Amino acid sequence: MSGILFEDIFNVKDMDPEGKKFDRVSRLHCESESFKMDLILDINSWIYPMELGDKFRLVLATTLQEDGRPASQEYLVSEIEGSRADSFEYVMFGQVYRIEGDDSEASSRLSAFVSFGGLLMRLQGDANNVHGFEIDQKIYLLMKKLAF
Amino acid sequence: MPKEQFREADVIKKISHVSFCIDSAQEIQQTSHLQVKQKSLYNQDQDAPTRTPVQHGVLDRRMGVSQKGTKCETCNQGLNECVGHFGYLDLALPVFHVGHFRATVTILQTICKYCSRVMLKPEDAKMFSKRLMNPNLSYLAKKSIHQQVLKKAKKNTKCPHCQSTNGAVKKGAGLMKIVHEPLRGKKKTDPLVTNALEELLAASEGNKEMYQAVGPPSLIQELNPIQVLSLFKNIPKRDIPLLGMTAIDSDPCNLIVTRVYVPPACIRPSVVSEIKSGTTEDDLTMKQSEILLINDVIAKHMTSGGKIELIQEDWDFLQLHCALYFNSEVSGVPLNMMPKKATRGIVQRLKGKQGRFRGNLSGKRVDFSARTVISPDPNLMIHQVGVPDRVAKILTFPERVNTANIKKLRQMIKNGTEVHPGANYVQQKGGNFKKYLAYGNRDKVAQDLKLGDIVERHLVDGDIVLFNRQPSLHKLSIMCHTAKVQPQRTFRFNECVCTPYNADFDGDEMNLHLPQTEEARAEALVLMGNQSNLVTPRNGELLIAATQDFITGGYLLTQRDEFLTKEKAMQLATCMLSGPDACMDIELPPPAILKPRRLWTGKQIFSLIMKPNSKCPVNANLATKGKNYTTNQDLCIRDSYVIIRNSQLLCGSMDKSTLGSGTKSCIFYVILRDFGEKFATKSMWRLARMASYFMMNRGFSFGISDVTPSRKLLEEKQKLLDTGYEKCDAYIMEMKKGTLQCSPGCTPEQTLESVMLKELSGIRELAAKACFRELHPTNSALIMAQSGSKGSNINISQMIACVGQQAINGKRVPNGFEDRALPHFEKFSKHPAARGFVQNSFYSGLTPTEFFFHTMAGREGLVDTAVKTAETGYLQRRLVKCLEDLVVQYDGTVRNAIGEVVEFIYGGDGLDPVFMEVKDRPVDMDRQLMHIQANPHRNEKKIEASSIRRLAEEILSQVEYENSRSDFKNECLNYFDKVSKRIDKSQKKYQRFGKINEEIERITPGHVEEFLKEVNQKYNRAITEPGTAVGALAAQSIGEPGTQMTLKTFHFAGVASMNITQGVPRIVEIINATKSISTPIITAEIEDNTSMEFARKVKARIEKTTLGEVTSFLEEVYRNDECFLLIKLDLDRIRVLGLEVNIDTIRYSLCTSKLRLKPNQVEIHGSSMIVIEPDRQKYGNMMNVELQRLTTLVPKVVIAGIPNVSRAVIAIDEARSPPTYKLCVEGAGLRNVMSTYGVIGKQTKSNNIWEVYNTLGIEAARTTIMYEITSVMEGHGMSVDHRHIMLLASQMTSRGEVLGITRHGLAKMRESVFNLASFEKTADHLFDAAYYGQTDSIDGVSERIILGMPASIGTGLFKLLHRHEDKRVVPAPTPIFDAF
Repeated sequence: MSGILFEDIFNVKDMDPEGKKFDRVSRLHCESESFKMDLILDINSWIYPMELGDKFRLVLATTLQEDGRPASQEYLVSEIEGSRADSFEYVMFGQVYRIEGDDSEASSRLSAFVSFGGLLMRLQGDANNVHGFEIDQKIYLLMKKLAF
Repeated sequence: MPKEQFREADVIKKISHVSFCIDSAQEIQQTSHLQVKQKSLYNQDQDAPTRTPVQHGVLDRRMGVSQKGTKCETCNQGLNECVGHFGYLDLALPVFHVGHFRATVTILQTICKYCSRVMLKPEDAKMFSKRLMNPNLSYLAKKSIHQQVLKKAKKNTKCPHCQSTNGAVKKGAGLMKIVHEPLRGKKKTDPLVTNALEELLAASEGNKEMYQAVGPPSLIQELNPIQVLSLFKNIPKRDIPLLGMTAIDSDPCNLIVTRVYVPPACIRPSVVSEIKSGTTEDDLTMKQSEILLINDVIAKHMTSGGKIELIQEDWDFLQLHCALYFNSEVSGVPLNMMPKKATRGIVQRLKGKQGRFRGNLSGKRVDFSARTVISPDPNLMIHQVGVPDRVAKILTFPERVNTANIKKLRQMIKNGTEVHPGANYVQQKGGNFKKYLAYGNRDKVAQDLKLGDIVERHLVDGDIVLFNRQPSLHKLSIMCHTAKVQPQRTFRFNECVCTPYNADFDGDEMNLHLPQTEEARAEALVLMGNQSNLVTPRNGELLIAATQDFITGGYLLTQRDEFLTKEKAMQLATCMLSGPDACMDIELPPPAILKPRRLWTGKQIFSLIMKPNSKCPVNANLATKGKNYTTNQDLCIRDSYVIIRNSQLLCGSMDKSTLGSGTKSCIFYVILRDFGEKFATKSMWRLARMASYFMMNRGFSFGISDVTPSRKLLEEKQKLLDTGYEKCDAYIMEMKKGTLQCSPGCTPEQTLESVMLKELSGIRELAAKACFRELHPTNSALIMAQSGSKGSNINISQMIACVGQQAINGKRVPNGFEDRALPHFEKFSKHPAARGFVQNSFYSGLTPTEFFFHTMAGREGLVDTAVKTAETGYLQRRLVKCLEDLVVQYDGTVRNAIGEVVEFIYGGDGLDPVFMEVKDRPVDMDRQLMHIQANPHRNEKKIEASSIRRLAEEILSQVEYENSRSDFKNECLNYFDKVSKRIDKSQKKYQRFGKINEEIERITPGHVEEFLKEVNQKYNRAITEPGTAVGALAAQSIGEPGTQMTLKTFHFAGVASMNITQGVPRIVEIINATKSISTPIITAEIEDNTSMEFARKVKARIEKTTLGEVTSFLEEVYRNDECFLLIKLDLDRIRVLGLEVNIDTIRYSLCTSKLRLKPNQVEIHGSSMIVIEPDRQKYGNMMNVELQRLTTLVPKVVIAGIPNVSRAVIAIDEARSPPTYKLCVEGAGLRNVMSTYGVIGKQTKSNNIWEVYNTLGIEAARTTIMYEITSVMEGHGMSVDHRHIMLLASQMTSRGEVLGITRHGLAKMRESVFNLASFEKTADHLFDAAYYGQTDSIDGVSERIILGMPASIGTGLFKLLHRHEDKRVVPAPTPIFDAF
């Protein structure tokens, strides 16, 4: 599949660690299984509630088209229907706005910040795993809970 | 009639200057048309239908007319045309002139009362007259030389010319009497005195009448006007300039009134009453007829040889009425002569706010203006103002007919006066007649309309109008809008524009003016347009920005959990489609959540405000902390870190700091700076529409449930109260036990008060915090406070939790009864509740005592505001008057109207405060770089951190930056150094990861180039334009925040016990350059600032110690053969205090004190005993008296320290470690403090400007003024650009001495008579000017306004210097084909 930037299985480690400040949004702190990536993700908990300890598959892609055709900037219904999104439960659209290094000397971790219309995501981990990210890149987040 | 465009060249005669002088009797006659002799006003013939004025009476028609239907007999014109003609009347006896009375006395003091020569030695006279005759002598210099002459001549008691004895001349008892005592100061036995007395006695014995008139023989001579006149007549011509009267034909004789002008009838109209018969005459008319009456009486007495007392009495009356005629407020009128009712003299017509100068000449009533109530309308664009159609039908604009508008104007004429886009008058080309369109055949008028005619059409949409709200405290109080004609009856405008006008809609009224020429419209639009004035010149902050509901709406819309369905999102987005944007494309972004269902977030929709479609060029960038920011930048849990990238709101909810006024992190400010005012106001308007629509649908209300505290909140509050009360009780206990740790310089009581106040004020703060914690996020009050739209945490706390401590005068409630605040409490109670602590909330309700305390604080607030408005209004007027003529010239200097330089470069860098993005610098470098980086320049490679500077230098050496400012270059290079240092590390670390490295802190050569270009542009744009009225702006910028300052606040100068005056009183003090300020404090840094011991020592050297403080006893000892005063020093105390004195220095202090003790009188015995013996020879048998005197005075002798220092306190700065110490010294004596051993003189500061000026000089005084004003402003949270304060300080010190912004200071800053007269003491300045024969060259702003000329300021600064030769305009050749 083309257009995929990152894919992994995450575990929800913590939810709203500093208190739930917003009714309809929860902040998940997750950790990935294979790449040991740290993830902070805001989700709309009203339409897609998550529980502590949930396990989900997360895909970050630049387009919803299976063939990797780039997405347009505007809202087009045709693009969304009948696409990669069909196999996922929760899909968000956003933009990479910052890629940031680590302050400490030793590690070479990078953080990528994505805003899905104000719902933030921070993906932190080894620089090799965030290789395809570019600032101002439009990005799709696709999620599906995994059953145990 | 259209107002002709102002063209200076078109004016036939231009007033070059105005000279003041005193007319002589002859000149009065020459300028007059007739002599007025008759005292009666009207002829007494009964049968005449209308009353006719008496010939040669005060109302003679030859002086013009004051009623309609009569004609002037001089020029044969009616009331409207005749300007009036002067008459004159002769006085039977000369009298003194009220206005020149003081000058008359001064002249008499200067001249010899026998030979009339100025009593100066010939050489002095020569020197002075040479100086006075200098034609370039300034008014000020002339006055001061005159003062010197006066001082010198006054000293001479013997005339150097005729050797006769002269004495003191002064004002005598009674109304306007001058007395001369030639023999004053001579002994009674002096033969001169005895001879004179004898002579008088002999004379009065022979003549009883004379005895009665003159009284018992005395040496005091009265100088009556006749005598004075003859003395003045004898003053030789060459001596006249020495009196200061340097004008060519000035003559001291003119100071004595022998002939009075009778002003034209039109300025003293008689009013015919319709109810009762007869007329009401003006005060001036009445006074003149009274004068004529007295004249007649005196003349009768004199011809019939009447009694001398009678004549004298009448003469006094004549004097009084002449005085009242000029100035009815003359003082010293004897009771029996007091006029029964107050009248208005000529002086009264001129002076005061309603007087001619301030009321009619400096401010005029205008036509084409409207005033009504205002109301809000978020649908109007920022630059619009809604005008009621009935106003639009009255205000007209004269539009000249041309081919483009003839059709439109024809239709308007047809519509007439009653239908809105109509017209009221038509004036044909070349004609003077205006046809009114309410009557007659309008269709015909419309048909006959020709090119070049002028149609006075109604105000229509898009017309340029000026909009104003009083008080007009700054230039943003009158701005230009475009009209939008609407039904209803109020003026409307977008709420965003409330701030500059300081308007609300509780019944406020505003004014609207319609400029009448195209030139005026153009100038108004460009210079006064509210789009061009989004930013205040005070500090460059945005003033027109979202307010109240718009902020709430924006806040709610951009919450992280605000999701919108497709219908809602689209509906909200279409709000923006209105007005000129009705057909705009909106590119809705894909929804943020695609599955499980499509939802847009509020932030996505909000972003459309800035950039609705990709054609819109606005790519704003901003990253800033919001009001509720916690930590972790964008991951802030309250979502209060705003990042806007390329006009996309990526995270953070918008609030007051990012939407509202008074900040530079506002998104509209960013758009304004980077994309211009059009886009800024456009997006502001879109927000106004969207936010109000969103709020209307969402609903936002406030009710009792919003202020009902939860159980948990109540518990928390109770806990807070309990702990607070406990602490207070503990303090009280400590105080009773005496274990309370006193703060430096405070008594235990004061310490207790301050800690209690601190503790109790803290409770409210904590309660507010608890509220914020406990209230549900949907609580309306909380939303408003958090978004910053209305209300603060204190307001919430007061409503819900606890009203808190009521402070009066910055202290807890004082005693209203004996030893207690209210009789409900125990005496001497220090308990919180007994001293005004209100523990209830407004919701729970206040107890009676609490309520009473609350009203006390409330009343203080009301009184405060009332006092404040008056005081700041006057302050503002003074500031503006003093600074109004300061203008930036084309050479970059700031000069006043007569060309004197006040600052060589405005503000030190020539930059305009309006363009400052960060404090005092025109570019916010971080944001600018971020903005540039937001365009990624994908086709370029990232640049090495180390080579950024090199590249920048390379670019800066190119031709286009040749003339750039050096501060721009330096700042950029320094900034790049900082940036490269920052990114260098990460760059090295991630280099090996290849492509991803490009994304981290990406700076490409293109970025650097673009950055420099942008910054350079911003710098160049920020240079102050020549002609800017920087003085007026400075005055407004300092005066306007004054209105917002609370009157009485105290601020501690490092130590709690030493408070300094703050707020308006302090500003007034600084600006007046008051010599003795209320809280003078000198802060002295000490050499070893970490040692308390050292600080104590220095303190002991500074603080005043009297002998009494260190003596154990003081005894008067009387023995048989001697008596003396015995003083025993308390050596222990001297040691404890750390005083550096011993018995010898004390003896020295005693001898040098003012006790008149000689060294041999003071004896030392041992190391602690001093014996003082009174002087035997001098006091002989009065020794006990002398001893008593010494006993009372000796303890007050200062033995150490600086005498004028009242106390010194050690201030501890605990913020630093180890804590540092410095000294705060109360009182005067900067020089002494600086030179005290242990004090670092260079770092010693005083807040007393006058003292700094005397000790350190004018530059130091200027710096102190700037520092003091800045600190007061900062103390009130007001930021004012330093350039304004600098200019004020420069103006105050530009003459080399500190001049206050008062009438005394202004008199030393200005030459112009008009300027001074229009400020204060109008009459005094005018009389003075006439006396000195002053010429006003009319350069300043006030003078130009008074004479109706454009001032050399702003667009009036430049003139066309090229003299255009009148060339014939060659008619354009007709095109070939037109010939056929």
